[in-house]
Amino acid sequence: MSVTSATGTMRIVRPRRVVRRDEAKWTWLLIGVVAAILLVWEAAVSWLHLVPEAFLPPPTAVAASFAQLMVDPAFWQAFAYSLTNVVIGLVLAIVVGVVVGLAVGWSAALRFTVAPFLWLLYSTPKVALAPLFILALGLGSASKIALVFLLAVFPIILNTMEGAVTVGGSLVNAGRVYGVNGLALGWKVIFPATLPYSLSGIQRGAALAFTGEVLGEFLGGTGGLGHMLEFAAYQFEMAEAIALVIVMVIIANLTLLLISTLRRRLAPWYDDRKIAGAS
Amino acid sequence: MTTTTEPRVPEASPSAPLISVRDLSVAYDVARTGKRLIAIEGVDLDVHEGEFVTVLGPSGCGKTTFMNVVAGLVKPSTGTVLVDGSPVTGPGPDRAVVFQDYALLPWRTVFDNVKFGLEMQKELRGDGWRDRVQEAIELVGLAGFESSYPRELSGGMQQRVGLARAFVAEPRILLMDEPLGAVDALTREVMRDEIDKLIQKTGKTVLFITHSIEEAILLGDRIVVFKSHPGAIKEVIETGLERPRSERSVQHDPRFLELRDHLWDALQGEATAAAVSK
Ligand SMILES: Nc1ncnc2c1ncn2[C@@H]1O[C@H](COP(=O)(O)OP(=O)(O)OP(=O)(O)O)[C@@H](O)[C@H]1O
Ligand SMILES: [Mg+2]
Repeated sequence: MSVTSATGTMRIVRPRRVVRRDEAKWTWLLIGVVAAILLVWEAAVSWLHLVPEAFLPPPTAVAASFAQLMVDPAFWQAFAYSLTNVVIGLVLAIVVGVVVGLAVGWSAALRFTVAPFLWLLYSTPKVALAPLFILALGLGSASKIALVFLLAVFPIILNTMEGAVTVGGSLVNAGRVYGVNGLALGWKVIFPATLPYSLSGIQRGAALAFTGEVLGEFLGGTGGLGHMLEFAAYQFEMAEAIALVIVMVIIANLTLLLISTLRRRLAPWYDDRKIAGAS
Repeated sequence: MTTTTEPRVPEASPSAPLISVRDLSVAYDVARTGKRLIAIEGVDLDVHEGEFVTVLGPSGCGKTTFMNVVAGLVKPSTGTVLVDGSPVTGPGPDRAVVFQDYALLPWRTVFDNVKFGLEMQKELRGDGWRDRVQEAIELVGLAGFESSYPRELSGGMQQRVGLARAFVAEPRILLMDEPLGAVDALTREVMRDEIDKLIQKTGKTVLFITHSIEEAILLGDRIVVFKSHPGAIKEVIETGLERPRSERSVQHDPRFLELRDHLWDALQGEATAAAVSK
């Protein structure tokens, strides 16, 4: 967008600014809505007693529980346990996903033989496989890491693959003309060109990774936030259960934020909006 | 008198041509329709060392395809392409390409994009390459933009980065696909003269695709005119104009005017034919 000023010079008005201001407006609206919901919730439970507190504790009770958790060593132990599993599983999924995605996207032979199976596996409800993992790998960390890996790896593979296919053409030709072949071509051209696609897959994978971990702990675990949540629910400690869910939501969102920041830093040339379904 | 000037490379050159194309055809498999599209058919062309050949033709007649075959990026369906006597099996350090769509690496700065032209050359071990890269950047008038990213440049500026990248590689053969297509008229004239001077100085062999008739005449020793459906060479014309040429010096040259009118008619006929057959 450009505006001609009184002196006749072109002044560039960054459309981005406008978007930012718009975003700020929505943020305030969102905060308002959340505050209103909390207020209605508090009123319904604590003041009007429409719902028994045992089923739905008021926000103040949840907040108190949350504060208690923050100083509870048992919570931090569970937190560390879950996070370690998620990080290990996710790192494995990233390494395998990017390498397999690049290979399958790059080689036409692999694309026609392996890719159909990848799509098939991607669309399989892997959650259904969770009990098998617990049976096969036991109640410890191994089964959780495997679940995290299984859930996270497919979006990473498929996005990287899509990126490698899309990139192809012109940049690869430029590489070949200037003598960049084989591994160097992969490292200097194809990998950086697909990086934004991979990161968008990693973002989706990370969201699923957390689901995998909590699910594993639910189905049979000896520690972690999911285990703690299940325990609280059995004990009918609803305030603590809700506080734990909030912790999980915060962790998941921080992860997504971290990865989208990373993507903006590592691939500033890439317009987010060009990646379908990225966010 | 200019009409009788000897072309720089005599027609019956005793030496073997540097680029020799014989009965070249390229057909693309169009996956969507399952048909084969004949992009070019029966192309014969010899280009001698040090010759500047410009290529004119309507859009979609196969100029880029032809250049890509010489570059080693597209395999011929039939026919042969020899460079310096040996068949082309792929790209090589003797040929550099200026791409129609620039093909710059978006994650690299202007400096590093130009450096890409030297990426796999041994010179990169020493330190002299820095000066070479800087020189090439200055040659295309991008001094001061070394650390900009392609997305921060205009189309014409990006195109000039592509030119610098090809120059810095110092190939024997320069393949340029509409290298000034996105550059504004004034810069275009300056760049054209720079290219002309550089080529005359270094004696490189050039294939230069353009949509501008004036550019084709001003730069070329010979002009190859393509026709479409299927893409093929319609005619090859020796310009036979004295060098150095400038827009001003040739403006009233009868040979220039004759060539311009001739090419105008040839291309307009092609464009109309193309439009009718669509
Ligand atoms: N990779 C490809 N796959 C299928 N068809 C192609 C491919 N590349 C080019 N073509 C077709 O081949 C024909 C010639 O294309 P080419 O790009 O060589 O034309 P051009 O003369 O360079 O055109 P322009 O002046 O517009 O750049 C066109 O009909 C085009 O659709
Ligand atoms: Mg073209």
